[in-house]
Amino acid sequence: MIEFSNVGLRYGNGPEILRDLTFSVEPGSFHFLTGPSGAGKTSLLRLLLLSLKPSRGRVTMFGEDVNNLSHDRLLQMRRHIGIVFQEFRLLDHLTTFENVALPLRVLGQPESEYRPNVTELLEWVGLGERMNALPSLLSGGEKQRAAIARAVIARPKILLADEPTGNVDPDLSSRLVHLFAELNRTLGMTIILATHELPLLDKFNYPRMLLSKGELVIHD
Amino acid sequence: MIERILGLLPARKGAAPIVPERSVAGRTLLLLITIMSFLSAVTLGGVVLVQKSAIAWSADVGREVTIQIRPVEGEVMDSNLRTAVSLAQSTAGVASARALTIEESQQLLEPWLGAGLDLTAIEIPRLVVVQLADPAEADIDGLERNLAAVKGASLDTHAAWRQQLNTMAGTIVVSGLLVLILIGAATVLAIVFATRGAMATNREIVDVLHYIGASNRFIAGEFQGRFLSIGLQGGLLGTIAAMLFFTLIGTAAGNMLSSEAGAQVGILFGRFALGVDGIVGILAVVPVIAALTAITSRVTVRRFLNETS
Repeated sequence: MIEFSNVGLRYGNGPEILRDLTFSVEPGSFHFLTGPSGAGKTSLLRLLLLSLKPSRGRVTMFGEDVNNLSHDRLLQMRRHIGIVFQEFRLLDHLTTFENVALPLRVLGQPESEYRPNVTELLEWVGLGERMNALPSLLSGGEKQRAAIARAVIARPKILLADEPTGNVDPDLSSRLVHLFAELNRTLGMTIILATHELPLLDKFNYPRMLLSKGELVIHD
Repeated sequence: MIERILGLLPARKGAAPIVPERSVAGRTLLLLITIMSFLSAVTLGGVVLVQKSAIAWSADVGREVTIQIRPVEGEVMDSNLRTAVSLAQSTAGVASARALTIEESQQLLEPWLGAGLDLTAIEIPRLVVVQLADPAEADIDGLERNLAAVKGASLDTHAAWRQQLNTMAGTIVVSGLLVLILIGAATVLAIVFATRGAMATNREIVDVLHYIGASNRFIAGEFQGRFLSIGLQGGLLGTIAAMLFFTLIGTAAGNMLSSEAGAQVGILFGRFALGVDGIVGILAVVPVIAALTAITSRVTVRRFLNETS
């Protein structure tokens, strides 16, 4: 599903942020992406999200070389990738329901069509009662669950999460990773979850990708 | 109060807007578009009023020619007047011809010579007013040729005066159109800056939309919808203000026209009545401003997205 071959990344004429990354990710797998701050986790996630192109090497996703993709094809492909951010990035003026429904609106679905699915998903993530609340009224955990629901509502094949537990307490962190695990198990989504919380890595026995100074030092 | 008025104006239906509707930048732009719409509508209305007055004036004057008979030694004025009237009446396309009495001629001179003067001792030029049934078909050249037989007679078709009037009206119309173009250009520039400002303010929304797979077209459509809504509201408010302005001016002019001086102004500048075509023209400002706002914002957003993506 995802193949990196000798991939390097630099911003402008700066130094290489990522160097010689070679790995593959199988469909339906769950990976932790870890490493110290500044190791390049977010840059790697941006490559996986197709919002950056590699400076060198080859990235293949869904069987296609991303360097050769047209703008439209890139856009189509990005719709198969969901993303969850540490800082949630919910739109403050939209309710929880409207935030979660956003990807389906972008796909052109009418509200009558997506309303039952969004409602069902919100109930599944425990936000059935908070559907009409604005993000400013949600707790950190609720915001992150809403962000996860938004990322998966369009049933992406790959779900990327950039430090999704960074703004919540350890107990909630664990529950959120359980939610990701459930999505991986029940929907077969390929999940790459970036975190630097070692207790989580120890608690959940998933393969790890350890980045250090832009290089992949462990991929098990 | 403003919120209440805005609540009555057309709003976008359906799902909640992705670009926030109420913002400081949005209110400022709404005010600006309202002012621009008001100026456009007033300019357009002014042009319509001037043009209508000029056309009506020119048509009135065009339906009338004047024969002037100057006193000539050895000639009998009354006889010349009768001949001139007779010649005019026998000309094709003439509806009627009538010599002004001495009293009427004196009245015409009153503004220059003052009232109460006895002019019987002085021989003053006399006028024959000729009403044309159809100015296009009237044989003015024939009448002019025939009048050559009457000593001291000359024909005034008011052509030079009408030409001056038409030139003046044309100049005002062209100036009004230029003002409209300038207002349009200023509106476009203001929308461009407002759109770029809105894009910068809503950068987070644009990024999120990109991350969830929205195309530039979709994002531009959302911003266009937002600005179309502002354009419609601003256009409507500005046009309503302009209509109120013309109603007030019309009422004020109506009160003024009750006096004799006001009547003169009324003759010169009309009754400030826009008529159906004028009202339709002013109402057309609403969709034009709304479309201008929507198109400008869409083009600006597309450019902004192409520059930044």
